Amino acid sequence: MEAKKQTLSERFYRALLRLFPFDFRGDFGPEMEQAFREQRVHVERQAGKIGLFRLWWETIAGIFTTAPAEHLSMLRQDVRYALRMMRKNMSYTAVAVTTLALGIGANTAIVSVINAVLLKPLPYQQGNQLVMLHQRADKVGLSNVFYSVPEIQDYRQQNRTLSDLVEYHSMQFMLLSKDEASRVRAGVVSDGFFGMFGVKPILGRDFRPADDQPGAPAVLLLSYEYWKKHERGDPEIVGKTFQMNDRVHTVIGVLPPVPQYPNENDVYMPTSACPFRSSPGMISNRGSRMMSLFGRMKPGVSVEHCKADLSVISARMIQQHPDAYPKEAGINTATVSLRQELTKGATPMLLVLLGAAGCVLLIACANVANLTLARMAGRERELVLRSALGAGKGRLLRQLFTESLILGLLAAGLGVLFASQTLKLLVDFTARLTPRAREIQVDGYMLLFALAAALLTSIVSGSVSALYSRQDLAAGLRDGNTHSTAGRHRVNARDVLVVCQVAFSFLLLVGAGLMLRSFSKLRNVDPGFVPQRVLAMTVDLNWSKYMNKPELARRVSSQLLEKIQSQPGVLAAAISSSYPLDPDNATGGPNEGMTIEGHPQREGEKPPLTALRSVTPDYFKALGIPLIAGRVFTESDNDKVPNVVVINRTAARRYWRDEDPLGRRVSFDKGEHWMKVVGVVGDVKEFGLDKEPGAETYVAEAQISAIGSIVVRTSQDGMNIANQMRRAILEVDPQTAIPNVQTLDQARNASIASPRVMMDLLGIFAGLALVIAAFGIGGILALTVNQRLNEIGIRVALGAKPGDLLAMILGQGMTLVVIGLAIGLVSAMGLTRLMKTLLFEVQPTDPITFAGVSLVLGAAALVACYIPARRALRIDPLRALRSE
Amino acid sequence: METSLTPAMFQVLLALGDGEKHGYAILKEVEEQTDGHVRLSTGTLYAIIKRLLIDGVIQECRHRPPVEEDDQRRRYYRLTPAGRQVAIEEAERMERLIATAREKHFLKRLKPA
Repeated sequence: MEAKKQTLSERFYRALLRLFPFDFRGDFGPEMEQAFREQRVHVERQAGKIGLFRLWWETIAGIFTTAPAEHLSMLRQDVRYALRMMRKNMSYTAVAVTTLALGIGANTAIVSVINAVLLKPLPYQQGNQLVMLHQRADKVGLSNVFYSVPEIQDYRQQNRTLSDLVEYHSMQFMLLSKDEASRVRAGVVSDGFFGMFGVKPILGRDFRPADDQPGAPAVLLLSYEYWKKHERGDPEIVGKTFQMNDRVHTVIGVLPPVPQYPNENDVYMPTSACPFRSSPGMISNRGSRMMSLFGRMKPGVSVEHCKADLSVISARMIQQHPDAYPKEAGINTATVSLRQELTKGATPMLLVLLGAAGCVLLIACANVANLTLARMAGRERELVLRSALGAGKGRLLRQLFTESLILGLLAAGLGVLFASQTLKLLVDFTARLTPRAREIQVDGYMLLFALAAALLTSIVSGSVSALYSRQDLAAGLRDGNTHSTAGRHRVNARDVLVVCQVAFSFLLLVGAGLMLRSFSKLRNVDPGFVPQRVLAMTVDLNWSKYMNKPELARRVSSQLLEKIQSQPGVLAAAISSSYPLDPDNATGGPNEGMTIEGHPQREGEKPPLTALRSVTPDYFKALGIPLIAGRVFTESDNDKVPNVVVINRTAARRYWRDEDPLGRRVSFDKGEHWMKVVGVVGDVKEFGLDKEPGAETYVAEAQISAIGSIVVRTSQDGMNIANQMRRAILEVDPQTAIPNVQTLDQARNASIASPRVMMDLLGIFAGLALVIAAFGIGGILALTVNQRLNEIGIRVALGAKPGDLLAMILGQGMTLVVIGLAIGLVSAMGLTRLMKTLLFEVQPTDPITFAGVSLVLGAAALVACYIPARRALRIDPLRALRSE
Repeated sequence: METSLTPAMFQVLLALGDGEKHGYAILKEVEEQTDGHVRLSTGTLYAIIKRLLIDGVIQECRHRPPVEEDDQRRRYYRLTPAGRQVAIEEAERMERLIATAREKHFLKRLKPA
């Protein structure tokens, strides 16, 4: 009985001792047990059960206070030692920390973006219930034909799945202040818009139903950004008035910073304040479509359910109003969750970047593990010595983990720095793709992720080294030979690591190579115009001044043109409704229905669609668009003579096929007015270099006026005379906003900025991977050469030729490379398919890219192998043998 | 010495003042010399012993007591000359401290012997 009790308390005491560090336990454990045993016997004899109770209490408390302190002191010692070791191996430390930091930094940055854009809930109240409605004309390929007022009323009254349905459209207004007119982008919203999103003004009040009544005083809500930027965050802004176009608007509040979709607006106003939206023609005409619709689903309703509900209404409308829904257009309504709508543009690119960054981190991890293993081989003597001197096995493992943890933490610190520096670049990049980019920031999640990545990498590289060091230490001690042990296991582990590095590098290089090929194709696309030395200016006249006054509009346009043409350095100038690759050009594709004389439209046939642009005669000269047949506009094409049009090559081919379009007539109002085709010009990539040019029709500005921009071909760089042009325009009408001035070269570069950044990022990742992998391969071969010095020496002594030696060592390295390449090739075949949407005229399995990447990677690997191999050739056989 | 001497450490040094002792003997001696005011737990004691060993203040004794009194699991410790010096300096420091305390009337003056 007594014996059993003893063992029980002894067992308990021994368990308590486990709280101490391994080494402490090893040094003092048995002795402490003995001391405690004696103490217990003595106390029990003298003070009985109460004394015993007190002893246990004091013992437990003592252990709980001393054990953590012991751990801490051990850690301090380990850290000190690790830092000393790292200082001693500066190059190893630098390479390991830098590669890891780049890997961790890249991942941290991308994960921050993904967290903000794809993972976090929308910053609206119960954002998952929000949906966006898209009216589409599938048969003619239009994905957004907007909604008209009668349609909105129908959806609002008949739906059963939405608790709210609000409308939105965007307008440009002219803000007239003392010094200069400026353009403000206004979101025009129906009553309850912000309430539905759960957005409350941070200053002032929201719109009220009364604000939306016809004839109500004009009121404005400012966006947070506009308030900060243009009103310097004025806290007294509420009540201030803005003269916009022909009306005075009163500011009633300021919105918080939230992502705005589909446009970023400067101000918001109720529908009654928009002269177009509140015109009687707009309100009564089912075909006047201009608004976007957002809804909030009732609790428990799914997007599918909502979609079905709205489709029923859409079908009913089509049945009741066949005129407004031509069969050949195939109009229907699609419902998507707002979250998906906001992020759809960014998702594929971000996921590809995440994959790439993940690959970099894995390669870096493998590299550090490999470096550590290589270094361990060098430290074997030291480790064996230390364990012989009594450092426990646990102690050594702990030391290894501490070292890799310190490496990891250093790398994480550096990585976060790197990530926060590159984040701005990523935000700019993401902002092109999604309005949620504004939510990206350096936050706790980012730091947490970097820390987790550091821990994970230290555990991975630490355990790899620990695992193999353990086996080899035992072996090293057993046979007392610390030199020849290449260690079967360790060599295999390192080989696997190198193969992985090569395979992952191959993947990344293929990704980058595909983007590069795609981008160079995109950049070399002939846009159909000569973008060099052309200045394009967006010009917004105060439309309220010219609305319904065509005489006045014509006069201002000819004055403008005259003024611009008379400026020095101007070779050709034109007024046009918009210009190619204009970021403000909202239509996004040909969308005007056209009637062609002599081509009656058959039942169920698509109506001919064309882009429509109003230009002055010199437009084609200024842009360098070639004339193919007939003539371009002249001064005599004015409002006194019948209207004429010029069409592009695609329109001519598509709608007249083998016939000659010259002299034929077209109409844009179903045959009420006809216009004669007088010329055919070359195609222009109006809506993006990656989009096939569609049919396009030019009308004469003097006949159908639409002043939207001025394009100027200049004798020198266009930006040099931008200010001079601006002044000239304002001299003609000071109430003009010129919100955007750029050269067409800039416009072209901006239009391909996203693929360019994507290519740069993937290129950087791939370059990193290539360098890291080359180091990895070179490093392992150098090590092998060192370890096989004896063998090589013997071979040389036995008369092996340098060529044989070279082949032997290169063969060893290149075998791994070839295996890695093969694995990389197979996985790339499968994985690059995910990039399909990002590529332009390049197949995901593009053989040129695959071959080129294999070549580059193979060559880099060969160089990396050759350097250590050459060393082996210079080995003096006598010395090598003597080192035995 | 790297670390400053805590009161508990000083007690251990004092306990070893009259010769070598094993762990439990030190515990007992400290308790006796402080009239039971200072009771070290085994954990605290061995953390101190480790510290003092590293600092070279104490050392383990090679020779052990006669077999009939010995237990193989015990280890015996004694002061090193340097350790004795440390203890002396600490005692002198305390003496000066006490003297100051008396001058400031925190303690009664000693009666002349």
